[in-house]
Amino acid sequence: MTAVAAPATAAPTVRAARRSPRRYVSLVLAYAFLILLALLSILPLIVMLTSSLKPQTEIFAIPAKLFASHPTFQNYVTVFTSSDMPRALLNSLLVGLLATVFTLILGCTTGYALSRFRFRGSRQLAVSLLLGQLLPATVLLLPIYKLINALGMLDTIPGLALATLVFVLPVVTWMLSTTFAGVPIELEEAAMIDGSTRLMAVIRVVLPVALPGIASVAIFAFLQSWNEFLFASVMTSSIASKTAPVALTDFANEFTVDWGATMAAATVISVPITIAFLFVQRFFVRGMAAGAVKG
Amino acid sequence: MAVLAPPDSPTRAASRQSAQARAVKAMRRNDRRGWFLSLPSILVLLALAGVPTVYVILGAFSADGVDAFDTIVHDPGFSQMMVNTGIWVVIALVGALVVGYLAAIALNHKGVRLTGMWRALLLIPWITPHVAAATAWKWMFGTEYGTLNGLLLQLHIIHEPISWLTNTTLVLPALALVQVWSTFPFVMMMVTSGLQSIPDEVYEAAQLDGARPFDTLRFIILPALRDVTFILVLIVTVWALNSFVPVWVITRGGPAGASTILPIKLYQEFQNGSASSVSVIALFQLLVSMTLAWFYVQRTQKGDR
Repeated sequence: MTAVAAPATAAPTVRAARRSPRRYVSLVLAYAFLILLALLSILPLIVMLTSSLKPQTEIFAIPAKLFASHPTFQNYVTVFTSSDMPRALLNSLLVGLLATVFTLILGCTTGYALSRFRFRGSRQLAVSLLLGQLLPATVLLLPIYKLINALGMLDTIPGLALATLVFVLPVVTWMLSTTFAGVPIELEEAAMIDGSTRLMAVIRVVLPVALPGIASVAIFAFLQSWNEFLFASVMTSSIASKTAPVALTDFANEFTVDWGATMAAATVISVPITIAFLFVQRFFVRGMAAGAVKG
Repeated sequence: MAVLAPPDSPTRAASRQSAQARAVKAMRRNDRRGWFLSLPSILVLLALAGVPTVYVILGAFSADGVDAFDTIVHDPGFSQMMVNTGIWVVIALVGALVVGYLAAIALNHKGVRLTGMWRALLLIPWITPHVAAATAWKWMFGTEYGTLNGLLLQLHIIHEPISWLTNTTLVLPALALVQVWSTFPFVMMMVTSGLQSIPDEVYEAAQLDGARPFDTLRFIILPALRDVTFILVLIVTVWALNSFVPVWVITRGGPAGASTILPIKLYQEFQNGSASSVSVIALFQLLVSMTLAWFYVQRTQKGDR
């Protein structure tokens, strides 16, 4: 693997390493730690993937082997033809999209307001957005369950999307307000001097500049909703709204756990979103670092 | 759930560029529009967070709540649950900070190539859906067929399979490692952005003075990252205190309550339908989390007035 080959080729070319043996030792240590940690980081995904390709007989082999000797797609056939997973994936997608659209609309207006206006209560609003980020979801579980029930939205996709807002909105608004604060206000003023209204200036000038930031915030909001389990596990009881993480735990709840199918389902939930994330991560991390605490 | 990097407050970020600050001030005279634009969010947050918080507080202080408090405190499993929660938080916090710091320092090493690739690989635990990751860990921790015992046996590190999840003393540390696995990338990211703000000259000067790597860590890196560390301690503690998925998916608090921590207890009471017990536990979580969150707000808003 490239990960293992990297230190051997890179280390001798380093100028600092030639300068002092101590630096060379520290470089070897740094690589050793990175390799070990990277392997541990991807191990669960690898195990998911390889176990999902094993036929029933190989899953329970002693000693446990990492790779299948006779790989099969049978577990995926099981997941896609005789389980709730296809519908659950669709539900998760819908909840995620709905929650993302809601949060972006609310977050963009409030984030813009916080970055551009000082108004009565703006400071209190900023503080409550910070507090809201650390408000435990378990604390809100019962009251939000009752609220969604009272609205008659239990076991519906919009109901779950609404509940999801409570832990996505504070952080999204906060990130968006930092994004907008980074857009030079002169751009807006210039557009307004040229005769456009403030609204048009925002739409034509500010939003395009802030778009990369808004996009990474949108990805973040979608991920949060895609991964959410606590609320979904109590608010979605039937296939009408059950999300993928909840459907995954259903596999493991039966008396005889079908580990092959469970791992196939776990792979379907994690691998596409993780790969998609790896493609955008550079730009995602940059967006986050821009808003990170600088001490 | 995953909270993101706590950014600068909007006002502080703006005041960095002084020309822009003046322009912002001018544009800010219009009060009411800001309020108007924020109103929808304020209403949604009041309905989804404000009212529920009040509901929990009232529920905990009602007659039923006081009875439930009595029952919970005199429950034979109570002291074990509190000790479990303490152990859980300590391992999760120390583990995530140590691993996250080391990863950031290793990534920041001048000689390390392909930092983008390493960072991407190390971010994977943070992005993998929690339930799917926990399911994989559950399988990996299996005594007979699990990957971990398989690996350790083949490498001759152990000679007998370890019962990670059925041994009452091992189960909690094992689960806490899963929590460390999923939260260290956040620490790594925050520390990385902190490290990048230390100028290279500082390291070079230290090296000229004969500083060893440990001295650099002790006298340069840690002092420079004091604020980042403080905030990370608060955030990671709150996450650990409210972490639900790893324990619930892997052991459901078992065996015999050996891995039951506060959020698991709350969920069990929810499933039992005892609303007042849920409110009492929720109030406790609320008090601890909001106390820590308050320090967080203070630190983030420092110098903002």
